[in-house]
Amino acid sequence: MQIKINHINKMEGHAGFMASVLNGDVKSAKLEIKEGVRLIEGVLIGRQYKDMPVIAQRICGICPVVHNLTAIKSIEKAMDIQVSKEAVLFRNILEWGQIIHSHALHLFFLSLADLLDIDNDLKVIKKYPEETKKAVRMREYGMELVKVIGGRVVHPLTNEVGGFKKVPNKNDIGKLIERSKEALGMAEELGGFFSGFKIPEFERKTEYVCLDNGKDYSIYDGDIKSNKGLHIPVEKFESNFSELQRPREIVKRVKSDGKTSYMVGAIARINNNRSRLNPRAEEYLESLGYKFPDFNPFHNIMYQLVEIIHAIEESSKILRMLEGGQVENALTKKYEIKEGIGVAAVEAPRGTLYYHIDIDSRGYIKNANIITPTAQTLSNLEDDIAVYLPEVLDLPEKERTQKLRSFIRAYDPCISCSVH
Amino acid sequence: MKMENKKLKKKKTEEKNNSVMAGTKPKVAIVSLTSCEGCQFALLDLGEKFLELVEKIEMVDFRLMEDEEDPGEELDIGIVEGTPITEENVKTLKELRKRSKFLIVLGNCAAMGGIPEIKNYQEGTNTIKHVYKNIQGIYNPEIKEVDNFVKVDFTFPGCPITGEEFLKYFPILLEGEIPERPDQPVCVECKARGNRCLLLDKKPCFGPMIQGGCDAVCPTAGMMCQGCRGLRPGGNVKAMRATLKNMISDEEFENIAEIYGLRDDIEERENN
Repeated sequence: MQIKINHINKMEGHAGFMASVLNGDVKSAKLEIKEGVRLIEGVLIGRQYKDMPVIAQRICGICPVVHNLTAIKSIEKAMDIQVSKEAVLFRNILEWGQIIHSHALHLFFLSLADLLDIDNDLKVIKKYPEETKKAVRMREYGMELVKVIGGRVVHPLTNEVGGFKKVPNKNDIGKLIERSKEALGMAEELGGFFSGFKIPEFERKTEYVCLDNGKDYSIYDGDIKSNKGLHIPVEKFESNFSELQRPREIVKRVKSDGKTSYMVGAIARINNNRSRLNPRAEEYLESLGYKFPDFNPFHNIMYQLVEIIHAIEESSKILRMLEGGQVENALTKKYEIKEGIGVAAVEAPRGTLYYHIDIDSRGYIKNANIITPTAQTLSNLEDDIAVYLPEVLDLPEKERTQKLRSFIRAYDPCISCSVH
Repeated sequence: MKMENKKLKKKKTEEKNNSVMAGTKPKVAIVSLTSCEGCQFALLDLGEKFLELVEKIEMVDFRLMEDEEDPGEELDIGIVEGTPITEENVKTLKELRKRSKFLIVLGNCAAMGGIPEIKNYQEGTNTIKHVYKNIQGIYNPEIKEVDNFVKVDFTFPGCPITGEEFLKYFPILLEGEIPERPDQPVCVECKARGNRCLLLDKKPCFGPMIQGGCDAVCPTAGMMCQGCRGLRPGGNVKAMRATLKNMISDEEFENIAEIYGLRDDIEERENN
C-alpha cells in the first residue's frame, strides 16, 4: 500500500509525504522535499565576511534573526572579536522576539486548526475572533522587539560583526517594557485557551539535544547537551553530528553519532532545561501536568506556548537591565580583520542552528557550513511517523491524510531552512 | 528584471475587473516558488490590517493558511513570490499566469533573482560543489527572474517587500487598475526620515539610483542601500559610479550589486 500526500500546506517551504506499507508493516516513511536549491553556502564562498550575515539570514523569512546572529557569532569567533555585554543583551532580546513571533505563528495559525480539525485558518479566525486578536497582538509584541532593535522584522538590519549599527533609545525601551505586560497577559490567556484542547497521544523514545550554559534557559550560548548524557562544546559539534547526503537528496540529514535520529526545538529545550524557566512559564508548564521525560512530539506545540511566556518574561527582564544601563556600549567597536575558523550555535525557534566558517586574512570567506534545525529533525520525524502510521492506517483516506499532516506540522518543520 | 516599471500605465476602464463590476469578491491566490517566504510573512505580519484585506477578497489559494486543495479556477489576481528554480516551480508559475487576469510579483527573488542569482556570477559548477558532494541528479539551472517565463503586470519589489506599500497599491489592483509608481529614489524617504546622507560622510550607498517606496529602512538603520528594490526608471548608473569612485573599488561595486541580482540590470542599463 502506498500513502502519498502531494503537498503539506501551512508549513514553511514545500514538501510532500510518501510511505509504503506492506501487510501492516511500514517499509518506508519519507518527506519529499520539493524546494529548489539556493546554494547559500556556495554563494558565500569568495565573498567578504560582511556579506555573510546579510545573505545567510535570507535562508529563512521567519527566522532570519537567528541566521543573522549565528553568522555574526561565527565570524566573531573566527576573528576573535569580543562584543560588549550590552550588545549581547540586545541580541538576546532579538532572539526572544524571534521565538515569540515564530512560535505564535506556528501554534495559532499553522497548528491550531489541526487541534480543532478545521481545514482553513480563515474559519478558525471566524470561530474564535477574540483569541485571534490576542494571538495577533501577542505575536506583534515579539515582532516589535525585533523591529525596534533590529530595524525591521523580516531580515533585520542593525546587528553586525562587533555590535550594533544603531541602538534604540531609553524611551523606546520603556515603551517595549510597557507592552510586555499586555503581551504576558495575552499569552497566559491563550495558554488557558490551548489547555482546553485534547492533544493526541503518541510516544517514541528519542534523544533531545539543545544548548546549555549551566546558568539559564539557554538560547544564545552554552555547550551541547542531551538527555542521553551527551556533553560537548559547540566547537566539537561535527565530531558527534555528521551530515549525510543520500544520492539525489537535497537535504543533508544530520544524525547523532552518525547513526541515530534525534530531536531539537522547544520540546528538547523543555525536556532538558525546564528547571530554569521563569516563574510564570514554570507555573503554566506545571498546570499542563505532563510527565518527564516527555516523548510526545505533539506536546511541542504546548511547549512553544510555555516558551512564549518565558520569552516575554525574559525580554522584559533584559529590557529593564538595558534601561538602567549604557545602551551605547552596544554600538560596534573597531576590530581587526583576521584569518580564522569559527563555529557558533544559537537556539533557533525550531532548535539549535550551527554555523562553521573559514575566513582568510583579508576577510574573504574560504568555506562555510550551515546546519539547520530541520535538517537535524527530519530523520526523527520520519522515524516517528513510521511508528505512528499503523495507528492511523485503517482510517478513511481523508482523515488519515489530515492526521499525518497534523503530525508533521506539530514538528514545525522549516523546509526552506532544511535545504537552503 | 526587465523594466516593467515602464509599463506602469493605467489600464483602460473597460478592462475593469469583472468581479468588482459584478459585485462579487475578487479571486486571489498567493503562490510561492523557491524562496525564504519572507515576503508572504511581510504580508502576514501586517496582522489585523492583512486580515481586513483578506475580508475583501476570495482567497482561492494561500498555502500558509489553509489545507484545502486549490480548485484551479480563474483568478483576478495571481501573486507569486520566489525564484523559479525547479521544473515544478516553472510549471506552477506558468499555470498561475494562465489563470490570472493580473500576475503580480512579490519581492526581490521573483523580480530580480535574489540571493540565488549570485551563483550566476560565480564559475560554473563550483557553487554547487561547495554544497553537495554528490551533485548528480540535483537540478541546478541558471537563475532567471519570473519575467523571463511569463508576463508580469505589477511588481512589489524589495527584500522583503514593504507591507505598507502593498496596502497602498493592492486595493488599486483589486479595482482592476495597474497603479502608477513615482520614479523616486530611496533618498526622498531617507531625507524625510531625517537621516544624514551616508554619501556626505563618504560612506557608500546605492540610494540615488534605486526605486524608493521602502521608507528608506536600511539607511535609517545605518546600513547602505544595496539596491534590493532595483533600478528606478531614471536611475543614473554612470553618475552613481562617479559618486562612489572614491569610496569603493569597481570590484566592490559589482560585488554589492550581486547580492540582490542588481548587477545584470545595471549592465543592461549601461549597454543601452
